[in-house]
Amino acid sequence: MEMLTRLDPARRVPTSSRAAYHPEIMERIVKERDRLIQRSARTIGLAGTAVALICLALPGAVDPPMLVLLVPLFAAIAFALYRMGQSRSILWVVIAVVGGSLAILTLHLGNVGALYPITGTLASPTGLSDSAVEAIRMLSAWVIASVGIVLTISLGRMIVLAGAFLVSLIVTAVALSGTVTAALSIAILFAGWTIAVVIGSLLATGVLRAARRITNIGRAHRTERQASETEAQRRQGARLLHDTVLATLTLLAHSGVGVSSSALKHQAADDARLLRQLRLGGTPSPKSSGDYTLQKPTSESVLGNTLENVKQRFGRMGLAVSWHGTGQVLLPSDVLDAFLGSLAECLENVRRHAGVAEAHVTITDDDTTIRAMVTDSGVGFDIAAIGDQRLGFKESVLARLREVGGNARVFSAPGSGTTVVLEVPR
Amino acid sequence: MTTIGGLVQNEVEENTLGVVAHDRRKARSPLRIPVFASSRIIDENAGSLGTAFLGFGAMIVCVIIAVFSLGKFTVQWERYASPAMEVFAWLLYAVLLVSVLVVIRRNDDRLSDRMFVGYTLGLLTVVALDLGAIWPLHDVSGTATAAIAAGVGVLAMVGVRPLRQVLATAMIFGALLLIADLVDGNVQADHLAGTLAMLSQAVLPAVIGCFILRSFRRMVTLELDRVLVQSTVSAPRYAVGMLASEELARLDLAAEQLLEGVSSGRTPLPLDARVAQTAASLATELRLHLIEGRRETWLYHAISESELLGPAVTLSDPNSLAGLLDPRQRDGLLSAIWLLVSESGVKVVGTDRTARVTLGPSDREAGAGPMRKLLVPIVIQTSGVARNRVDPGTWDAIRKVGKHADSVVDGSLRLEVECVVENPADA
Repeated sequence: MEMLTRLDPARRVPTSSRAAYHPEIMERIVKERDRLIQRSARTIGLAGTAVALICLALPGAVDPPMLVLLVPLFAAIAFALYRMGQSRSILWVVIAVVGGSLAILTLHLGNVGALYPITGTLASPTGLSDSAVEAIRMLSAWVIASVGIVLTISLGRMIVLAGAFLVSLIVTAVALSGTVTAALSIAILFAGWTIAVVIGSLLATGVLRAARRITNIGRAHRTERQASETEAQRRQGARLLHDTVLATLTLLAHSGVGVSSSALKHQAADDARLLRQLRLGGTPSPKSSGDYTLQKPTSESVLGNTLENVKQRFGRMGLAVSWHGTGQVLLPSDVLDAFLGSLAECLENVRRHAGVAEAHVTITDDDTTIRAMVTDSGVGFDIAAIGDQRLGFKESVLARLREVGGNARVFSAPGSGTTVVLEVPR
Repeated sequence: MTTIGGLVQNEVEENTLGVVAHDRRKARSPLRIPVFASSRIIDENAGSLGTAFLGFGAMIVCVIIAVFSLGKFTVQWERYASPAMEVFAWLLYAVLLVSVLVVIRRNDDRLSDRMFVGYTLGLLTVVALDLGAIWPLHDVSGTATAAIAAGVGVLAMVGVRPLRQVLATAMIFGALLLIADLVDGNVQADHLAGTLAMLSQAVLPAVIGCFILRSFRRMVTLELDRVLVQSTVSAPRYAVGMLASEELARLDLAAEQLLEGVSSGRTPLPLDARVAQTAASLATELRLHLIEGRRETWLYHAISESELLGPAVTLSDPNSLAGLLDPRQRDGLLSAIWLLVSESGVKVVGTDRTARVTLGPSDREAGAGPMRKLLVPIVIQTSGVARNRVDPGTWDAIRKVGKHADSVVDGSLRLEVECVVENPADA
């Protein structure tokens, strides 16, 4: 019994985990705890009730009229235990204890013949049958004791617990006094009640421990959620990086056909490196990372250099290119690639077909568009007669520009030179 | 190459983020189960979530019953033909119990398969020794002591082994004792009560222990699920969500591995059709994830991340109005939905509780004046929830959301809540 005094989990909670609980959470946990304890008590109690009833129903356990008297009592006990599993009300506990005690007393009174007027059973000369003794033990040490499980959670309930224990002890002592195994039965009774109290206290403590742990996990999870949100935003924010990855993946989806495998390998390596940086917490972006090769928007100097490169390349091949207008434009790299590629293609056409050694490139830009006008004063051609196919214009220039949202137009007539206007959006 | 292909393929199959809220049910393929954070966390914290503690408690019960049986053994000492055998059975039992306790503690609240088999065989040996010692008495049910304790000893494993195994083991012990009692040469009707008492002592503790532990685990799962989902309450108006952000990270990783394979030459170019297909799906999934509009409200995330709410709640919030609720209102709404859907009290057989939550359209402004507020109508139409079976906490929770009216449609509760929120236009 000394166990009872130190186990009061309900009171212990605030001291062991101050501030860990919001009152509402605490309320919910207490509710869950009580529900679990009540259901456990119900299961245990009902199991015991079934066993006790089976014992009494065995042939030779008690006379049939006695059984008729006992069955309603058992039904009452079972109902009380069932309700005890659902509600916190102490009423069902009391009914279960009273019902159980009455059942034991009925067995005792039947045994001594006191119920003769009702059942017509005389006092048994051999005393209680073994089965009846087992049933009484079951009732006192298991069925009635099962209410002990729900009686450990507060001081008031512990007082009820002590009362219930005493009642079952007295009733059992009265019923089994004189039997050879009385001492054993009382020992069983003590064991049963101890186990009930242990189960009740352990469940209560276990639930609270778990609740504390769950609260901690919840707190950690909230942080994790915030971190994950930030992380997702960081990844989503790495837009340019994902653009190049997506472009490469799309190329790969077509088995990399049409792209040189070394270029693809190189590209894949670059993208994989960027993704790895992203994974390791970096934010590879055009501004902070020099490795950001593909989507590097052309800086002013780069564009100047690129144009200069083109000029030098054609110069080496015998075509002098003069630049006019601004060379200081910023373009996304795929647009820039298309733009420069088309420009080079046009200059190549001039070199091969125009019959002159000089070409002019004028670059103009407004808010939406960048234009390059490639002009030569060469032989020119009849657009209708030659068509743009022959010059590879359609694939190498027009298709390329259209892919990035641009366009190209050709103006020419035999003998009056050629002008090609290339447009890309900026 | 195969590994990459396999890995990536899996990622794509498992991905469901292209699925919109009302199609969520379809997304529940078995493959997705581990995604639920609660299951994962329970796996990771099996011991610390109280099961180990309860297992320890089971051990205490075990010891109490054992001490009781031991007392019985000492009382009937004179009757044994060979008490040495019985003493040995008890010593073995004590050693087993102590060692299983130590092993479980040492082993981080786990019991390996080998240990499980060893412990069970040890307990069976105890039963055999006890039966051998009491066989000459021809009264197994009246004199068995260590054998009963051995049956209860199964209870010690209740926190660390799957419940089915524990139950099966307990049943084996019960069957053994029953057979032994029936063939001990002394079968009388009056002895059946003794048999019954013996069996209930030896088998019921483990069976009941399993039941209690199951309820306990269920409670922990629900509570954990709830707590995890609760964290959405403090989320911003739109969020990517845990699932989506994990998914994005996994897609990025899969892409990285694929590209890595290509660049290192492990995946030869041109790619074979399967890997190319993988690359295509990966690109599609990634694209979907990178669209800004994929961000959803906290309520969507709460429902889709919850093991309990996911299958039971359908959300219809086309204008993402849930995002406008303040944390207190969110908390109330989530609690109310939770309480409505989770089974409390009486189980109504055959009727799963479900709820359809509809937010909006918000076409009215609440009140006038400089601080205009927006009125968000919320309708919760349940099924299988009787008005009088509703947890009283639901009403407290719903009151936090706003003024409400309840009615019963098709025998199930319908809640209409007028939720007043800050107008985002004024913010």
